[in-house]
Amino acid sequence: MEPTVSPPGPLKLSLRVNGVSYVGEVEPRKTLADFLREDLGFTGVNLGCEHGVCGACSILLDGAVVRSCILLAVQADGSEIATIEGLAQSERLHPVQQAFLEHHALQCGFCTPGMVMAAIDLLTRVRSPTEPQIREALSGNLCMCTGYTNIVRAVRAAAEETATSPKHE
Amino acid sequence: MNSPWTGKAVHPREDRRFVTGRGQYLPNVSFPKMLHAAILRSIHPHARIVSIDVTEAQKFPGVACVLTGEQATQMSRPLRSLIPLPVEVPYYCLAYEKARYVGEPVAAVAATNRYVAEDALEKIRVEYEPLPAAVDPEASMKPGAPLLFEPLGSNLLWHDCFNYGEVDEVFRQAAHVVRERFLIQRYSSTPLETFGCIAAYDPSRPYLTLWTNDQRPGQAMPIIAHSLGLAHTQIRFINSDIGGGFGNKRKPPYLVLAAVLSKLSGRPVQFIEDRRENLMALVHACNGAMDLEVAVSEDGQLLGLKVRDIADEGANVLNPTVHSLLKLGNITNCYTIRAVQFDGYSVMTNKCPSGANRGIGKPFMCFALERMVDEVARRLGKDRIELRRQNLVSPESMPHTSPTGSFIDSGNFPETLNKLVALIGYDSFQQEQAKARTEGRWLGLGLALAVEPSTSNQSSYILTTKKRTASGAAEAAMVRVESDGSVQVVLGDVGSGQGHQTAAAQIVADELGVDFERVHVSPYFDSLVSPWLYTTGNYSNKFSGTDVGAIQGAARKVREKIITLAAHLLSLPPQELELADGAARSKKEPHNRKTLEELAHVAYRDLLALPPDMEPALEGRFYYRPAIANLPDEQRRVRNQLFVSNAGHAAVVEVDIETGKISILKYAIVHDCGTVLNPVIVEGLVHGATAHGIGAALYEEFVYDEQGQLLTTTFVDYLKPTAVEVPDFKTDHLESPSPFTPLGMKGVGEGGAIPAPAALVNAVENALEPLGVRFSDLPLTPERVWQAIRLARTK
Repeated sequence: MEPTVSPPGPLKLSLRVNGVSYVGEVEPRKTLADFLREDLGFTGVNLGCEHGVCGACSILLDGAVVRSCILLAVQADGSEIATIEGLAQSERLHPVQQAFLEHHALQCGFCTPGMVMAAIDLLTRVRSPTEPQIREALSGNLCMCTGYTNIVRAVRAAAEETATSPKHE
Repeated sequence: MNSPWTGKAVHPREDRRFVTGRGQYLPNVSFPKMLHAAILRSIHPHARIVSIDVTEAQKFPGVACVLTGEQATQMSRPLRSLIPLPVEVPYYCLAYEKARYVGEPVAAVAATNRYVAEDALEKIRVEYEPLPAAVDPEASMKPGAPLLFEPLGSNLLWHDCFNYGEVDEVFRQAAHVVRERFLIQRYSSTPLETFGCIAAYDPSRPYLTLWTNDQRPGQAMPIIAHSLGLAHTQIRFINSDIGGGFGNKRKPPYLVLAAVLSKLSGRPVQFIEDRRENLMALVHACNGAMDLEVAVSEDGQLLGLKVRDIADEGANVLNPTVHSLLKLGNITNCYTIRAVQFDGYSVMTNKCPSGANRGIGKPFMCFALERMVDEVARRLGKDRIELRRQNLVSPESMPHTSPTGSFIDSGNFPETLNKLVALIGYDSFQQEQAKARTEGRWLGLGLALAVEPSTSNQSSYILTTKKRTASGAAEAAMVRVESDGSVQVVLGDVGSGQGHQTAAAQIVADELGVDFERVHVSPYFDSLVSPWLYTTGNYSNKFSGTDVGAIQGAARKVREKIITLAAHLLSLPPQELELADGAARSKKEPHNRKTLEELAHVAYRDLLALPPDMEPALEGRFYYRPAIANLPDEQRRVRNQLFVSNAGHAAVVEVDIETGKISILKYAIVHDCGTVLNPVIVEGLVHGATAHGIGAALYEEFVYDEQGQLLTTTFVDYLKPTAVEVPDFKTDHLESPSPFTPLGMKGVGEGGAIPAPAALVNAVENALEPLGVRFSDLPLTPERVWQAIRLARTK
């Protein structure tokens, strides 16, 4: 007979996602990605590999880009999260989203939310990145459709845009 | 007709949904009481399944049902192979009696969520009796090899030898015969969204509703209907947004599995592969070996080919021989070679089933041919550009029929080559290379040309099946002016990232004389709503070859009706009317007009204002079939794909001879896909396909060990190129419109994947020319390159 281990019960959790507070319970083993998708309905967080390589599930956790598939939801207790759904202000897109549109930096769109988050993370840290810096910063995000050329162009354009209009968050 | 929308660089409208995280991908579709499936997979390459004990799993809290292979044989019929087999084999949605590759589904659980379903898998006890595995395809063909399906008596699924033209004569006359052996690895395009489906079975009708990202509904439908014993009228098949396809997303066994689980549990069941499952068990492009002999005249004319080609299909009994057929059809690439012998073998091994992958077979065709052309140039002491130029099919001889019956409808291959040579800077490179060598840097330039055929002709499968189960090519579309005058378009082929919603709207806007923004194109396929047929789906680069004709045909049906109706209402002869600015109007007096909204009002509401013999509504469905599709002739020549684009790729690489690392310094692409409907979409597809080719050339490989264990089951071991590895592309293009497609368009999307591996390896060999290093296999990992350099240096 195998020893029976009863799983630990749900844990309390409180966090803010895209500016809205959530208080609730979560199974300790549930990943942050699954929690965001299934419990809170942020299905823009896509799952491409679930082992921390493809970057499709990238979000901002307290301002830094992380892969939500290899974090547990409970690890995000007390944190501030941003997902793709929270970037646009009503009809007005975030400059990085706008640049992705203008440069057709996507095809199937599945990598796009994670790619946009990684780009935002870069532009927060580096105001005017060089092309190698952009490529390096995006190298944790796989895109199977575009060959990256248009993505790099979009991020460069977004960097120029944000550098000239510093007011946009 | 003025064409304000076709040809325009319209930014794909679907992008807005995706950048805001609103894609309706399969994993985002959910239903009340929906269960989640998890699959227990074989850990053995080849094993007899002695017993499966699911007692504990069934009792596990949250589990609704557990399915084994044995139950699957009671609840479904074997999946029907698309090629005739001497006896029916027990190929079900789950392994029955034997497991035949690592990752083959052995049992499945449906539970309240995926965590619980995966917990329950651990409670299933399977007793296996491991068997020796067939791993190497050539050994697998030989008598005495371990058999995947004993009743078949052999692992060889198909063998045939085709002779086109005077092969023996040509080889007798040849001044030179060059022989080389080329190998290709297993790889796959790995769309970022994995395969998934939701099945909801209603026993009271009975009726099955399927939501899936399977990209070929027309072909999946009859297979699953047969397996489940349902009529087509009892299945509703729905595609929502598909997160990339590249041919990989076709898996009828998973659709059947989800349906059976739904039937057992009485609830909707969702199955979504995880990445490990995707890499182990969805689909791999065939690995293979090609022995190629080319007969060459004294002055460098390529006269004939003898090909012995072995395609390793893994455990694929469902749809094998596709790689072989596409190599056969395109084996002369863009050259005037006049005689071909093709000795093709399609063989099973204990590996993941093979299947469609961007370019299917053609990357290997091109790899072998374009490597061979470089080799011939070397042996004859000729310039590789000149040798190519001398052998290209000339624009004057278009359309050109190759010895195997392939029909090159249009193109200017010499001009593609000229532009490529200019774009990469071929003429100044030798100096650059010489200078770099004095600095101890190893630079090389390589290039490759490729045909990029599109739109599969189903008749070509008659060559392997010897049965006429399907023929020709077609797609369907529906156009409807709604009662408010807005325009709705529904496609048989909704695409998987190629901007079909935008491209279709451009075509319809022009046909109906309305603004692009007034045209809505549904992103979704629904077999109850969408017009479809067996050939419906997203494959073979066929948008330009069949879909455009369907969209245009449907729009024209509506257009004709609009004109007839407007002529009636305006009391004008139809020929005096035109469609423009959202209205039907008099050509002479444009103010004399009826808007689409006014016409639609009559067509849907004010029915007594219609001409007495006119059917209400403004709706047209059209099934478009290209006229040039043919059947194989007595010599077994056939147009296997119908419209031929072409591309030339050239790369400048630097090889670090101490580490074997390859850096791409410059990459040039020249392509010709005929008339360009939307340059933004076309450019994106060209870039993306090239990145796939670069991955295949330098990084990607499914590695099996000698026992048949798969060693690369994550993106840590199976390497995809990232933004750091893929260079910026220099692109140029030609437009040689096809005389045989409605708008002169030809396929785009596979072109980059086909020549890139050959161009890169040719570049690396050029860099290492002083060492005489030769490569016949892929990918050129640093280890492989370093070993080859070491070997060359110790010689």
